[in-house]
Amino acid sequence: MFGFSGAALSKIRAMQNGGKRARHSVDQWDRQMMDRDRRLTGFLRGQTDNVLAPAGFELSNAWKVERGFT
Amino acid sequence: MASRQPRFNQQVLIDTTPLPDSIPKVPEIGSSSAPLLSASYFIGARCKAYNDDYMLCKTESNGKGETECLKEGRKVTRCAASVLEDVNKSCLQQFREHWECLDNNNQQLWQCRRWERPLNKCVFDNLNLEKKIPGAPTNEIPVHLRKRQIFAHSIATQ
Repeated sequence: MFGFSGAALSKIRAMQNGGKRARHSVDQWDRQMMDRDRRLTGFLRGQTDNVLAPAGFELSNAWKVERGFT
Repeated sequence: MASRQPRFNQQVLIDTTPLPDSIPKVPEIGSSSAPLLSASYFIGARCKAYNDDYMLCKTESNGKGETECLKEGRKVTRCAASVLEDVNKSCLQQFREHWECLDNNNQQLWQCRRWERPLNKCVFDNLNLEKKIPGAPTNEIPVHLRKRQIFAHSIATQ
């Protein structure tokens, strides 16, 4: 019973994560690195081992904008 | 003002203005998190001087490090790119197996020692770079050389 639901949940998580196990205990460093991976590959869990970044990578880092409080 | 992280942001702004031409252009590293983690100790072995220089510059610049330490940062990028290129050329298969294992295991190095050992051996033979953990006590075996990893999930991947 538990085995079936555990297996089904882990299969769903693997499908959501591109065939890999889900990440847990993700801290700000990991979030920053996963955002960088998304900018490099287009997927949050995508990985690549190219040496040089694609053109335009150095300009794709976004500023988070918020309205000022007055 | 802009000195703290934004808390309530609803929009992002992507500024596509490139750097001025007076700054030499160095291409950014194209590896994502798992290959970088896998190669990190080798980058540290070769690029220790440049990395220490950059960190010292950032510490001493009192908040202005983004603009004042560009030169040291270019050296760091070039050195790390050279390490990654050499590892790609000589040990690509062991490197790929190691970082694919890391990607599957929440980027935890102790789950993937089984693939780390052939990678370390190959890099040491071809590139003469040895992985050393800085600050490890010298009277014990370093963690990456121990036979039994106490936190690994399974024996097969140790």
